[in-house]
Amino acid sequence: MTMAATETPEPKTETASAATPAAKPEDAPPPRRASWGRRLMRDRAAVAALGTLAIICLAALFAPLLATHDPYVNTRSVMTPPAWQTGGDIAYLLGTDGQGRDIFSRLLYGARLTLLIGLISVGLGGFVGSMIGLLSAFYPKIDAWLMRFMDMLLSFPAILLGLALVAVMGQGAVPVIIALAISSVPDCARIARGIASGVMKMEFIEAGRAVGLSDAALFRRYLLRNCISSIMIFISLRFGQVILIGAALSFLGLGARPPLAELGMMASQGRDFLLFAPHIAVIPSVAIFVIVLAANVAGDALRDVLDPRLQT
Amino acid sequence: MKVSTRTRNRLGLGAALAVSLPALASAQTVTILRQQDSNKYDPPAITALSGSEVLFMMGDTLVALNEDMQTIEPLLAKSWDVSEDGKTYTFHIKEGVKFCDGKPMTAEDIAYSINRWISPELKSGVAWRAGDVKEVVALDDYTLKYELNAPYSELLYQLAQSFGTVVDKENVEALGADFGVTGFNGTGPFCWESWDPRNEMVLTKHEGYNWGPPMYGEGAAKVDKVIWKIVPEESTRTVALLTGQGDVSYYVPYIGLGKLRSMPNIEVVRSDAAFWTNYIGFKIDKPGVSDPAVREAINLAVNREAMAEDMFFSEVDPAYSYVSKGALDYNAEVDAHLIKYDPDAAVKVLEDAGWMLNADGVREKDGVTLEPVIYTFTGEWAKTSEAVQADLLKVGINMQIQPYDATVIWGKLATQEFDMYTMGFPYVSTGDALNLYFRSANIPSPNRMNWDDPETDKLLADAAAATTDEKRASDYGDVLLKVQKAAVWLPIYEKPMQVAYVKNMAPIKPHNIYGAGLYKGLQLAFTD
Repeated sequence: MTMAATETPEPKTETASAATPAAKPEDAPPPRRASWGRRLMRDRAAVAALGTLAIICLAALFAPLLATHDPYVNTRSVMTPPAWQTGGDIAYLLGTDGQGRDIFSRLLYGARLTLLIGLISVGLGGFVGSMIGLLSAFYPKIDAWLMRFMDMLLSFPAILLGLALVAVMGQGAVPVIIALAISSVPDCARIARGIASGVMKMEFIEAGRAVGLSDAALFRRYLLRNCISSIMIFISLRFGQVILIGAALSFLGLGARPPLAELGMMASQGRDFLLFAPHIAVIPSVAIFVIVLAANVAGDALRDVLDPRLQT
Repeated sequence: MKVSTRTRNRLGLGAALAVSLPALASAQTVTILRQQDSNKYDPPAITALSGSEVLFMMGDTLVALNEDMQTIEPLLAKSWDVSEDGKTYTFHIKEGVKFCDGKPMTAEDIAYSINRWISPELKSGVAWRAGDVKEVVALDDYTLKYELNAPYSELLYQLAQSFGTVVDKENVEALGADFGVTGFNGTGPFCWESWDPRNEMVLTKHEGYNWGPPMYGEGAAKVDKVIWKIVPEESTRTVALLTGQGDVSYYVPYIGLGKLRSMPNIEVVRSDAAFWTNYIGFKIDKPGVSDPAVREAINLAVNREAMAEDMFFSEVDPAYSYVSKGALDYNAEVDAHLIKYDPDAAVKVLEDAGWMLNADGVREKDGVTLEPVIYTFTGEWAKTSEAVQADLLKVGINMQIQPYDATVIWGKLATQEFDMYTMGFPYVSTGDALNLYFRSANIPSPNRMNWDDPETDKLLADAAAATTDEKRASDYGDVLLKVQKAAVWLPIYEKPMQVAYVKNMAPIKPHNIYGAGLYKGLQLAFTD
């Protein structure tokens, strides 16, 4: 995180691109750098992670079509083991939970809610955080104030914040999203500020000022555009963490209200059956593991190919 | 974390060695596993089972209750006389009873304890249980006069509860707000040694104790130490019993009982006279659930038999009546009004009452949609609520679950915010249960239904003042029939008392008083 504060990203303006080696057409064909997409494809782990994420996202998106059962309807066949185990039933691919609900269907709906909570809170926290970071880099006067405030926020663990919010607002997805969003704000703000203060030192900012651009235009056209890709990479890295904390909060009974399926909550409900029907807790836990791992590997790979600091 | 000597022996030597070296187990410590702690151990201030179960061991009451839940046995009082009009009880107190610190206990201490229980300053939520007291005074060191303004047929049963546990005035005044937190000087079979909140409570044997109830025979406790160990996690409690980290527990999850029964080193005993009912109550003045048809339909729609079998592994009995049929003063007429599972009938009842499905598949009438909010405990109750929710959805009622942690829910349940709530409660008799929940004076809590009915109040007062068993039974029976017909509750299940213990302990006969399965702890003993 602190490294980002010293980086000098490549400004994506006319003047800047003219300075790249490709600007000398007479020379021998320069060693053309492969596009970032190609470089990403060469990284097998990244491809696997992105593929997994894509499959999970699609499965979650089309949960109502893929689900074999209604995830909220209970049946008399409780604690059925997965189909491949003895006593399993092919109708319940991954078995049923303690209330006789199909785990496969609940997993699809659960992944949907888990991903949604992750996306919304990261999006919200990322947006607010990067705006704060960019503004504090742009206006040095408020810099110290904003950053000390961020330090304060940083000292609140997300879990504690979630507990407090749930105590006030009652159990539900909303307090969890708010808690996760707030916990994402300071990290994003610091990263954004680091990137932005590098950009603020560039000549084109000074040039913009010299030609009399307004603050708003300078901010939007010069600063934001040059920072956004790096910030997005950081946010994508944050996604995995947020999913994990969200699942932890759900596991503690702070997440979505029953009967909604949520992966952390499913794991938590299965905990009581751990000795007798481990699949009820294990399956959603594995799902969380896979999602978080895929999100982290994919985020890392994206940073490797997109982060300007690592390109040179 | 402290580990008992016994446990350490077992862990260190392993099962094989421990069996061959019984002499090492001479430090007789019983570890009792339970789910949660109490916030303090002050008899009249604590109404939770987690407080009562320890207080029964640390202190004594005037009288004791037999395992049959009917017979009153002598405890601190060796005998008692009741006046003709049923208003004056004269208790003859045993001599030679001593507090844990060695001080002799007299009738004065009992009078102090009972007057403290009902004193307005203490604001005990259970003061009403002591009856409409005129005065409680010690006539001499060994005679206590308990005078009431009106006869109270339940008195002896209530005096057997932990709220009237005899405390030591000096101890109470010396400790002040820390009474029951840093110490407790009682006359029970065990004495307070140390308390590490939310971890363990250590009690040591009260040497010289020989005034226990007759059902446990003579003499002091048969073990040197009792450790009440908190193990919040259900599965962990099961495993702790299996691996010998605990010796006895009546907090075994239903799912684990089958497994424990199959183990050669564990014994599980059961008593059906437990008188513990789990129910869901309706706030009868809230839109939607104020309609008796809706409440009846909910009773029809929820498959409690399936829940008892699938979620509680047939370890509990589905409940349809508000109190167990075995309870004192149960009215057999109620049997004809029990509402059993019939989802088709539920739909019919709702439609006849004008509740029709709207576009979202939820029933609606005059702008009110059937989306009652239920406040529930987390854990087992949240699961129960989920099953109820799923059943109700099938008939077009979209119940909204709002789970709260045990630390905040009691405050929430005293409000008027919810439409339904979950609760489990122990009782000694029909009257005990009805007085607790249906007196209008008990609104908003524990009468969370807002059941405000002058006829009920009158019948309850008459029953309490009844001087004959028949009159009392008939008055309580009338109230039970009335509330049962009004469907103000959805009874879920009746919980039998099941105690699991390791086989090298002497056989345990479960008690049911207030849900405290080991009662005085006088039968705890090791056979090796």
